[in-house]
Amino acid sequence: MFTLALRSIRQRPGRFLATLLSAFLGAAIIMTFNSMHDTAAGSGVDSVSSNTLTTAASVVGGYGSLLVFFAVASTLTVNVRQRAAELELLRCSGATPAQLKRMVVGEALAVALVGAALAIGPAMLGGRALLDLFQDSGQVAESVDYSFGPIALLTGVDITLVAAVGAAFLAVRRATRGQRRRARARTFLAYATLATGTLAVCSTFLMKATDEALMAPPAYGAILLSVGFALLAPRLLKGLLDRLALSGASGWLAVRNLRERAGELAGILMSLILFTAVATTTLTVQAVESDEVAASGLVKSVDAKNLETLNFTVVGIIVVFVCVMLVNSLYAATTYRSREFGQQRLAGATPGQVLGMVGAEGLVLTVAGVFFGTVAALAGIVPFTVVRSDAVLPGQAVGIWLAVVSVAAAVTVGTGLATARKVLRTPATEAVTLAA
Amino acid sequence: MFRTGSRRRHDTGPAAEALRLVKVTKTYGSDDSAVTALDGVTLGLARGTFTAVMGPSGSGKSTLLQCAAGLDRPDHGIVVVDGTELTGGTEAELTKFRRGRVGFVFQQYNLLDTLTVAQNTVLPLRLAGRRVDRGRAREILTQVGLGDRLGHRPDQLSGGQRQRVAIARALVCEPRVIFADEPTGALDTRSARTVLRLLQEAVRVHGRTVVMVTHDPVAASYADSVLFLADGRLAGRLHAPTADAVAERLAHLGDDVTAGV
Repeated sequence: MFTLALRSIRQRPGRFLATLLSAFLGAAIIMTFNSMHDTAAGSGVDSVSSNTLTTAASVVGGYGSLLVFFAVASTLTVNVRQRAAELELLRCSGATPAQLKRMVVGEALAVALVGAALAIGPAMLGGRALLDLFQDSGQVAESVDYSFGPIALLTGVDITLVAAVGAAFLAVRRATRGQRRRARARTFLAYATLATGTLAVCSTFLMKATDEALMAPPAYGAILLSVGFALLAPRLLKGLLDRLALSGASGWLAVRNLRERAGELAGILMSLILFTAVATTTLTVQAVESDEVAASGLVKSVDAKNLETLNFTVVGIIVVFVCVMLVNSLYAATTYRSREFGQQRLAGATPGQVLGMVGAEGLVLTVAGVFFGTVAALAGIVPFTVVRSDAVLPGQAVGIWLAVVSVAAAVTVGTGLATARKVLRTPATEAVTLAA
Repeated sequence: MFRTGSRRRHDTGPAAEALRLVKVTKTYGSDDSAVTALDGVTLGLARGTFTAVMGPSGSGKSTLLQCAAGLDRPDHGIVVVDGTELTGGTEAELTKFRRGRVGFVFQQYNLLDTLTVAQNTVLPLRLAGRRVDRGRAREILTQVGLGDRLGHRPDQLSGGQRQRVAIARALVCEPRVIFADEPTGALDTRSARTVLRLLQEAVRVHGRTVVMVTHDPVAASYADSVLFLADGRLAGRLHAPTADAVAERLAHLGDDVTAGV
């Protein structure tokens, strides 16, 4: 089966591009930050520098691993779903479920290995740049030498491989078995996450304005809340769609499509919610903190600077990752609908109406994602601002929120429309006869 | 874009000739690998007739249907549907031309899986921005024997039932011409018979004009007349066909063409 896996990769390299890209990005980020561990372990590194480097590596490394898992899982799930016909054919030709599983997992393993190997070079450059950044801001002593060692290499390769194999395993199991039983576990997990998130956010009020860790509870609370909303995404989307009546044939079709495909679109909605919540909360909280420090006339400590750098890095990573995931899953999902678009055109839809439908779908998804993301973000921002600065909603929040929302909307609607335009170039009569 | 009557409302009286093709030519590919799918086909079909188009694979049946239905543009020649000439234009213009003039029934049904039977039936009306008459849709679905399946999804229906939904969808727009591309190609004989009777009814009861591409002599025998096509040219016409006569004619179609060269 592994030979078959390798052959299928060689025959259709394009199909694995998305998985390769997320494995590559993930491995690069993990290696970049974990090389700070290697650097900190070098001889003659003072304790402050070592501390800075280790904190950066631990925080972003942890985030990165989670993101890699999410990204690889989402690309692989889309990949497996689109190959349902091929897998069915293999099953009819006598492949057992275990063999299918081995094939898909084998493919994921091979792609992840290539991705991780490709990431080594860029990770070295990235790590060096990151160290320069720390040295320029005085957080790390100039004498510290960069080192890319076993920790970076091992964690990068291992986490990427484990994420890819685990995600492939889950994806193929879902494809071959159905997922009804997991619904209850998912609901429980969602409510547990929401409850923990609420607790974390409320615990902000127990802290003092000058506490060093004041940023942590609102930030983590907002993330937990957004994860909870994201887990409930399919149900939330359905609830929203039941109350939504869009006018025009395109809008009418869009609402019906979204309602039918709510389960499949959960991944996209999840990315949108996480993106909005994490980016808005982190950036706003950091902006409030910087303003307060500036207002009090104090100079930022090394720790505060570290935190700032980390916050911006984390947001940057999340933005890149979520954009890649959104573009990938939307591109794949829209390409897959070539036949459906063809049928609509044969039923009398102009290309403009099809594009209008795709646009309306993207817009509804963006609004839903941004709405729940904003709720989660506000839950984090408001307690922090109240405790830190006596205001309720910081002035910077609006600008940051607008920027975040524009990025989310541009990526979601833009990818959908651009892909649909490309798909519509195939004549309708051809599109409906192509094997889907 | 359309030379006559582009502003004409759909409900004005139909033209006496539902479909007219004049010297229609269509070539695929270019230079050395060019294949002439249609080679100067001229024909006219009167309103309220049921015509089958037959011919061996590669004879240009499907191309003829696509050009006549405004799904594809011929390289040369004139296509007139219901008295209005189809001229160039973008896909959007072709789509608008087809609305209300042309209905389709395909071998693969082409129903949307996300919509119910009733929603699929009225989809062309919605897309055309016309008033959606649910009562009328239900009436037509009852006529095709699916009055109790309005809320079902296509994947809950058998092939024959899906094809009947497709026929109801074609009828609900009250098009001048219904084009059917191998409508019974994927059906068992009983379902096929029901579908063919419904197409006959569309002509006799609803006064539509039906053009059906098929390779099955039995299906063709339900039509008023059969047009034979070979190598992109018309190769004869048979009125009041029987399945045997059609099969006989089809078997010797090759002879006629060689004789003609």
